[in-house]
Amino acid sequence: MTAGRLGVGLVWLYRLTLGALFPTTCKYEPSCSQYAIDAFRTKGLVRGSALAAWRLLRCNPWSHGGFDPVR
Amino acid sequence: MILAKTPILGDLENLLRHVLNWLHGSVGLPWAWSIVAITVIVRMILVPLTVRQIHSMQNLQRFAPQMKEIQKKYKADKKRQNEELMKFYRENQINPAASCLPMLLQFPVFIALYYVLRNFSKHPPSGDLSWLHFVPNIAAHTTSFWGGYILLVVYVASQMASTLYMSATVDKTQRTIFMLMPIVFVFVIARFPAGLVLYWVTTNLWTVGQGLITRRLVPKTAAPLVEKRSSRTPPKDDGTAGNGAQPSSGEPRPKSPAAQQPRKVRRKKKAGRR
Repeated sequence: MTAGRLGVGLVWLYRLTLGALFPTTCKYEPSCSQYAIDAFRTKGLVRGSALAAWRLLRCNPWSHGGFDPVR
Repeated sequence: MILAKTPILGDLENLLRHVLNWLHGSVGLPWAWSIVAITVIVRMILVPLTVRQIHSMQNLQRFAPQMKEIQKKYKADKKRQNEELMKFYRENQINPAASCLPMLLQFPVFIALYYVLRNFSKHPPSGDLSWLHFVPNIAAHTTSFWGGYILLVVYVASQMASTLYMSATVDKTQRTIFMLMPIVFVFVIARFPAGLVLYWVTTNLWTVGQGLITRRLVPKTAAPLVEKRSSRTPPKDDGTAGNGAQPSSGEPRPKSPAAQQPRKVRRKKKAGRR
């Protein structure tokens, strides 16, 4: 999926810049950024973005985290 | 900077500029203190999120011995180790402290502030741009004046302190990396406007202060949770409980079905995260 690659590139851009500046560990496994990369790779740009956004919303202090790969 | 300016970013910049203008013009703060005020406002909005985060971190620390056990057990396989830890969290109703959303919410403000300050350096607004006598211009590169180096040192110290208070990980190496990170990033930040570093220092200090206050206000109550655990888990396999109770890994468990039975009716559904 070529459009998905754009998403993967953006995630890497985030990882190398802002993500590196604000260190956090994610409560999910795989982490939110890895989840986004997996989602872009398997579902493409549009559905991948939606999945990644939904995962980010779930990654809040009230959720419990855990093992949660892209299905 | 890193992001091309999109319409949304432009709106964000305008919004932040309005708030800054209000703080400077109506409230009467100097520009630098307006940035500090904006940081405090943002962090105040995020208080419910961070307090929750600190509580869960304290909860996490209670289970540190068991978690270290799991880490030792799966030392060779990092991925497996992570998965087992996550399962352990779920089983013990632990809410891992760090989550991406609160951190992410600060990014838009941060990026908008970057653009506002860049604009300031091109078209300086009326009014004083200095801060506490040692920062002559918050819109200039941090290293373009000697006071900037002080600001950078304060940044490194505050970042380390806030990592100490907020880092969720029990993993020693990861913690060390996070502690050393600011020293590396100081070289990146040196190119940023001083006002941005000011934002950073303020938000870090807020984190530390919040950590100190919540620690004092919320006493560590280890007893009830330990009891909860022992009602489900026979004390003899306490050390391996995190591993033993997971249903899906396909590992055959030589336990009696009677010992398994109460585990199946765990409060799984309640703990659902969606």
